[in-house]
Amino acid sequence: MITIKGITKKYGNYTALDDISLHIASGEFVSLVGQSGTGKTTLVKLIIAEERPSKGEIIIGGWDITAIKSYEVPYLRRQIGVIFQDFKLLPKKTVYENVAFALESCGVAAATILKVVPQVLKIVGLDNKIDHYPWQLSGGEKQRVAIARALVHKPKLLIADEPTGNLDSINTKEIIDLLIKINEIGTTVLLVSHNRDVVNGLRRRVITVEEGKIISDQVKGRYVL
Amino acid sequence: MFFLDLFRSFKFALQSLWRNFWLTIVTVIIVTLAMASVSFLLIFNLVANNVVDTVKAKSEIYIDLTEDAKQAQVEFLVAELNKLEDIREVIYITPSETLDRFKEEHKNDEVIIASLESLSANPFTGSLKLSVNDISKFDALLTELSRDEYGQILEINNSEFYEAKDLLNVISDYSKKIEKLGFGISLFFVLISIIVVFNTIQMGIYSHREEIGIMKLVGASNWFVRSPFIIESILYSIISVVVMILIFYPLAVYVQPHIDNFLGEYTLDLVASVSSNFLWVFGLEIGIAILITVLSSLFATRRYLDE
Ligand SMILES: Nc1ncnc2c1ncn2[C@@H]1O[C@H](COP(=O)(O)OP(=O)(O)O)[C@@H](O)[C@H]1O
Ligand SMILES: [Mg+2]
Repeated sequence: MITIKGITKKYGNYTALDDISLHIASGEFVSLVGQSGTGKTTLVKLIIAEERPSKGEIIIGGWDITAIKSYEVPYLRRQIGVIFQDFKLLPKKTVYENVAFALESCGVAAATILKVVPQVLKIVGLDNKIDHYPWQLSGGEKQRVAIARALVHKPKLLIADEPTGNLDSINTKEIIDLLIKINEIGTTVLLVSHNRDVVNGLRRRVITVEEGKIISDQVKGRYVL
Repeated sequence: MFFLDLFRSFKFALQSLWRNFWLTIVTVIIVTLAMASVSFLLIFNLVANNVVDTVKAKSEIYIDLTEDAKQAQVEFLVAELNKLEDIREVIYITPSETLDRFKEEHKNDEVIIASLESLSANPFTGSLKLSVNDISKFDALLTELSRDEYGQILEINNSEFYEAKDLLNVISDYSKKIEKLGFGISLFFVLISIIVVFNTIQMGIYSHREEIGIMKLVGASNWFVRSPFIIESILYSIISVVVMILIFYPLAVYVQPHIDNFLGEYTLDLVASVSSNFLWVFGLEIGIAILITVLSSLFATRRYLDE
């Protein structure tokens, strides 16, 4: 699903990622851990083509996006679901509209949208709040809207960059359970986290980065830092 | 696909207008004010040009006929001159009419009137009253008339003739200067309006910059992100011009008497002159507003779309 070969990313003179290589197979649930400022978000940005690598090669689902053209980026984004620590919901749109927007923006027919959006909102347990605006929701609910929006394209890959960073432990558990459920229906999940309990509780593959380098990659890993 | 996107962009634009109510109000007020200042200048130019045109239309020149001029020659010349394109009208003024005009012009000057009355015969010859369509053509025309072949009938070489000619040139010069000044001031106001509207639209879009980023993140193309902003700009423009026109009419009715009072016979009926060109004025105003706001929003969104 994700193949990264010798990626280096520099911001000016600063090297955020240094010669990273990794492969994530279809259907895996991988945690990417490491201290703050070690380049985890930078790696996510490279995968969704928000940034371009300084060196190396990135292949997503067979598509070499190393030198992706800016007009091709929307097509890549529609194949990858992404959620963030700060949710990134559209503040002036309702729950329903936020999720529908992802489909509307790529020309999906209205009838399909009417059918799919409520289904996805039901999966994340928000079918009773479709007309709420983001400011009327709790953090956990906002993150579930973001997950619904990420899922609405039926992506093969879901990337979650510190999705529970702003949540309490109950909401954290709910979100992680949701990610596990999504992985069980066949979606590859890349979870960026520095929550020790979350990562250890998963008992899945853990990749640890430090200062822009991968320092460990364990199949049934634990948070080692 | 195109129409589906267009429909959705419209929907988003209307939602955004409504949900960002205060931003919409502020933007509409500013665009309205900007268009009003441009329109004010437009109307000012219209009134000034009307005055100039009226003056021009009233400017006419009298050319005395010589004593030798025969009735038939004069009639022939009048007919010929009336055929010329540049000439609006040539009228033959008889000696007695000339006398009447002279008496009227000098009615407060007792000495002149007295000396006229002491004469037994009418001292005046007939004259031609000449008016043209374009005041700037007067000069060439008069030069043409000064040719020798007319010397027998036209009394060109008197000072009155040259004074009249100079006066016409002065009027013509002034009208050109007024037009230039009007154009210059208008340009200045238009420029200020453009800058103000541009900044307002910029700030509106700046307040949406995070949303633009989010839309891009979930896979919206640049045009899909941008088109609601463009449609919003078009709607702002239309609303503003409609508001402006709704304000214009009562305002025009209110100031009309003052303009009449100030300009006297040179006045202009504001409501009538706007109404008679309503579609043209309305279209032009909306066109200008749309041009400015849409270009501004294109430019402003560019920043956050990293094209
Ligand atoms: N746009 C940027 N310009 C310059 N430096 C950046 C930029 N983005 C991130 N960095 C730097 O790169 C390093 C890695 O950042 P990031 O990938 O966000 O870390 P993490 O997500 O692991 O906390 C940080 O030191 C950060 O300051
Ligand atoms: Mg980060």
